[in-house]
Amino acid sequence: MSVFTLRPTHRGGGGQRRPSLVRAVTGGVSDVRLVARGWRWGRRALVPASAAGSTVVARKGLFPTAWARTPAASAARDAIQAGALVPVLAQQTDTTVHGRDVITRLRELGDGPIVFVANHSSHLDTGLLLAALPWAERRRTLVAAADYFFDTWWRASGSALVFGTFPIERRASTVSATPGDLLREGWNVVIYPEGTRSPDGWSQRFQLGAAHLSVTENVPVVPISIRGSFAAMPRGRRWPTGHPTVTVRFGPPLWPGPGDTARTMGPQVERAVAALLDEDATDWYSATARSAAGATPSTAAPVVPDGAPPAARWRRVWERTEPLAVRRPRQVWRED
Amino acid sequence: MMRALEVFASTSRYAAARAVGGSVPGLALGAMAPLRLVTRERPEPPGPGWAIARPRLSGICGSDLGIITGTTSLYFSALSSMPFVPGHEVVADLLTDCGDVPRGTRVVIDPVLPCAARGLDPCGPCSRAETNRCDRVTVGHLAPGLQTGFCAETGGGWGEQMVVHASQVRAVPDDLPDERAVLLEPLACAVHTARRAAVAPGDSVLVSGAGSVGLLAVLALRRLTEAGRITVVAKHDAQVRLARAFGADDVVRPSSAMSLVRRATRAMRVSSTRSEDGSGAVPAVLARSSLGKGAGAGPFLLGGVDVALDAVGSAASQDTVLRSTRAGGRVVLSGMPSKGADLSPVWFRELEVVGTYASRGDAFEVATRLAADAPLDGLVGGRYPLHRWREALDHAGSAGRLGTVKVTFDARDRS
Amino acid sequence: MSRPGLVLEVDDRTPPLVVHEGDGFRLEEFPRGTRVVYPPESLPSVPDVEAAIDHALRNPIDARPLPDQLFAGMRLTIAFDDISLALPQMTRPDIRQRIVEQVLTMAAAAGVDDVELIAANALHRRMTADELRYMLGERVFRSFYPQGKLRNHDAEDPANMVHIGVTDRGEDVEINRRAAESDLLVYVNVNLVAMDGGHKSVPIGLTSYTSLKHHHNSHTMTHSRSFMDHERSAMHHSAWRMGRVLKDHLNIFQVETTLDNECFPTAYGFMQKREWEWSVKDQAAALAARRGLALAPTSMRRRIFQGVRAPYGLTGISAGEVEAVHDATLERLHRQQMVELDGQSDVMVLGVPFIGPYNVNSTMNPILAACMGLGYYFNSYRGKPVVREGGAVILYHPVPAAFNALHHPSYVDFYDEVLSVSTKPSVIEAKFEEQYATDPWYTHLYRTSHAYHGVHPFYMWYWISHALDHCGDIIWVGAEKRSVERMGFRAASTLDDALAMAQGTVGRSPSITFLHNPPHLIADVT
Repeated sequence: MSVFTLRPTHRGGGGQRRPSLVRAVTGGVSDVRLVARGWRWGRRALVPASAAGSTVVARKGLFPTAWARTPAASAARDAIQAGALVPVLAQQTDTTVHGRDVITRLRELGDGPIVFVANHSSHLDTGLLLAALPWAERRRTLVAAADYFFDTWWRASGSALVFGTFPIERRASTVSATPGDLLREGWNVVIYPEGTRSPDGWSQRFQLGAAHLSVTENVPVVPISIRGSFAAMPRGRRWPTGHPTVTVRFGPPLWPGPGDTARTMGPQVERAVAALLDEDATDWYSATARSAAGATPSTAAPVVPDGAPPAARWRRVWERTEPLAVRRPRQVWRED
Repeated sequence: MMRALEVFASTSRYAAARAVGGSVPGLALGAMAPLRLVTRERPEPPGPGWAIARPRLSGICGSDLGIITGTTSLYFSALSSMPFVPGHEVVADLLTDCGDVPRGTRVVIDPVLPCAARGLDPCGPCSRAETNRCDRVTVGHLAPGLQTGFCAETGGGWGEQMVVHASQVRAVPDDLPDERAVLLEPLACAVHTARRAAVAPGDSVLVSGAGSVGLLAVLALRRLTEAGRITVVAKHDAQVRLARAFGADDVVRPSSAMSLVRRATRAMRVSSTRSEDGSGAVPAVLARSSLGKGAGAGPFLLGGVDVALDAVGSAASQDTVLRSTRAGGRVVLSGMPSKGADLSPVWFRELEVVGTYASRGDAFEVATRLAADAPLDGLVGGRYPLHRWREALDHAGSAGRLGTVKVTFDARDRS
Repeated sequence: MSRPGLVLEVDDRTPPLVVHEGDGFRLEEFPRGTRVVYPPESLPSVPDVEAAIDHALRNPIDARPLPDQLFAGMRLTIAFDDISLALPQMTRPDIRQRIVEQVLTMAAAAGVDDVELIAANALHRRMTADELRYMLGERVFRSFYPQGKLRNHDAEDPANMVHIGVTDRGEDVEINRRAAESDLLVYVNVNLVAMDGGHKSVPIGLTSYTSLKHHHNSHTMTHSRSFMDHERSAMHHSAWRMGRVLKDHLNIFQVETTLDNECFPTAYGFMQKREWEWSVKDQAAALAARRGLALAPTSMRRRIFQGVRAPYGLTGISAGEVEAVHDATLERLHRQQMVELDGQSDVMVLGVPFIGPYNVNSTMNPILAACMGLGYYFNSYRGKPVVREGGAVILYHPVPAAFNALHHPSYVDFYDEVLSVSTKPSVIEAKFEEQYATDPWYTHLYRTSHAYHGVHPFYMWYWISHALDHCGDIIWVGAEKRSVERMGFRAASTLDDALAMAQGTVGRSPSITFLHNPPHLIADVT
């Protein structure tokens, strides 16, 4: 025992431990571990059961993504998309893009923003779609994503950086930046009107958001069909299987007419995408004809005889995972 | 021939010890100590009245360590003769008759070597029986040496044999064991100290230091004077217990000594350092720096104890006692002083500074009486053969921390 | 909307909790089932403070409006709570400054010339000029301080004190002469805790050792259960008796203010929040603070924490007759700080923070740390103590044997001398109190320097006598063993160790309650 521990401050500072770099570092490591475990880093923070009643679960503001639209982040995104995304997709999948000229034609009319609308059955869709866009469009295109996509910071910031995703709040209240704002800023926006990936490859009901945007902002909608991505990488898979064949097909733009509302325009959009899928499966002309006759096959379920029960789930998946014909010659005129 | 430990003149070791002795005592008490175990000539009685004695037990004193570690004032270098065998706290058996004490008697010695031992006519002090003040310690038929244990010709307790003069020997009562008897010399010094302190009835006393000097002084003060409150400054826990057993009223740590003296005596505390209470003028930074050290910065009391006793000899301890004594009070220096303290309080407070060295008169008889029933058991906490001297000195050097009061050599032990 | 207090039960989902320990804090993982008491969130604060003060002064309770009591030629004294409140110190402007300015404005309008302001520091240290300026503002300071009209109360100046009388129990009532001989005494309170205010203001704040010893003693303190509840506090009963004696001799206009719970600035926001609601930013701030503190030398840590200024809001102000005003104050205070707690527990855990009433701009020495934990926090209850009789109290504080020689000279000696003789309040009181109370040096330092009075450490020790009497085991986590043992307690390095040490008293699986303060709370134990 040393008597010096008794010394008052003015006589030497007491027996407190002197700060040490080593201790500070090792203490830091264990502190970080403690906090990471205690606050469940990378997972959802939890509220103790007994505090549940008193804890107002904060309506978290949407994940901020404005940074991802800064020139610096855009440049980084450009580099990642061109340097990694496009080559990887090209290497992992056999993708054919059709009808890209609709964009060229659209651009002849003006430089305004475009709403891209596509069917959605796989996480591959966004990458495929962006890769399919001309470079000049791709770099000014953002992707609307459901808010649950932004529940973890690392996933949210990662996808914001790579795909330019931004959250759309489907349950009202706080929205940091609406798709309308982004359109007004000159960004193209990709919207999946189905809201979420299809569970079986067949389309779900289209929601009216895209049509609403088109009408209110007077922006053209370019319908896009993506076929084969469900078979390539359905829900639950993290990487494409084999070397799947995928097609991305752009359709002619839809302009909101005078007197159009979301309600009138919404079905047009849905039909346009369905027709593209039909076209992709068959050929342009016959698909157009069926479309004009209102006979475009349903994209929502396999055709069954009237009055018969809906097709079983396996049949739905079966049909949607049927391999696409590889690089079949384009048959403009089809013989019956 | 005999085996003995001898201190020899080694300029290099002396310089080295002087340089690092204070800071690296382990080194100074080990490899670099100017001490060695030798086989040397047995000392012969230099004249009439001298006899041969065989030490049974010999203590290691603070002054011995001071010499070895080079912390002692150079003042004393003229008062010893090299090479000498240390050891002045000795219990020994007489191998020859010594004056009227017959051979075979167990004796302790009063180590001072006054005129009588040197074959001289009594000097002034000696003629007044103040043998410890003898003016002739460097002359006569004996090599210079203020005491046995610092003289080249007498040998000392740290050897197998030594010579003693009739004026030095005191017979030890048979019922007093060696472990107590070896303490008689320091206890006699303490008795002398208590006398020099001239404590008036009821006087408050501060004893700074609780090594063997301080503890035995407390014992003597309590038994021989009518001192009032005795406060002891002790560093270590074992010392606290012993000080209380020896009669201390309060035992305090060095850091709080002055404030507790102040409290007990209701004195005023003043400080030259500005940080303390705004009264001083010296910035704290300066006072703590080397400029401030020894320049008199730091707190002191106006008021304080009546008598203060330094039983350490360090400048810090001397400062404590000088600065804690009331005006007109007495300061007794009983530790072998090493470095000087600031004497301003002596002047300003009109202090009486009193030294106390060795003992004289009937101090040994009084000490023997005290030793008979004082709680001295366990004070000797180490007993080493000569060849384990490094261990012994190391033990003695940190005795307080190790809970030991006195470490001894047993020269008979050849194990 | 402010949420009420909460009693959390620690479960697997509970993150580590902040525990204060001196100039630092820990993140502690408590055993499952531990009850954690969180104070209510801040009540809505008064939006227009100036208007609220004006309204209170003009519409006092059971008293004439202040402007009506002011007249030319009168002698007006304004006394105010000293630097021991609020804790931490308020951001400027201090509420006292705002009130004093308005009182002075009214006095100036009435043509009052003879005005003095006195810090009611009783036996506390004198406030420095800078501290007075900070508290009352430049305007007040410059108008009064240079003339000596703004000063500290000096309880050791016989000429400055006047003996008013004795209570029916024979207690001396002695107060500041200037205050006693004024036509009107306005007392400005900051009622941070329920102990303050009421008749504790004038009879204690402006008194001397002669009066204080009647209620600041080990007997009274053991029987003050607790002193946060004046109806069950022997100390307050005595003060109330004295107050009623004073009432017949003095015209006192009492102003009491209550604050919300905002005691940490934004930088320490995480300390103010419930941990499971911490954002990533809060977590990062906590981690960064922990690291920074680990690297900072002791003196820097002390500076950092002493520099904390609390952005307290005013929850209410009342003025007028002492007892009526105090009732209103207590109602607001209880609303802000009271948390209902169902039953006592075997073990009570407390984190002793960096500041207490007596170490503002100073050092929290071991005695003050004990007083903060076992005096203030232990007594922060109504009804029954949080811990059962014979239970264990576990405190967090490093308890370094470090003293501020300027502020606490008698504490050093109390620690070195008194505590090494005994830690029993009644023994200490009988053997040493008188000596320390009349020691000329302490008295000198109290009067001329910035030292607490010689007897002050005894009062600190009496504060904890109820806890000493009540608890079976008192263990400090992370504390310096030597100083804790000097005070008669035990030291453990972790909570687990402490609980293991307490096993003999409370068994293997004791019920544990942790008071999560500051911010301040009162546990209403039923």
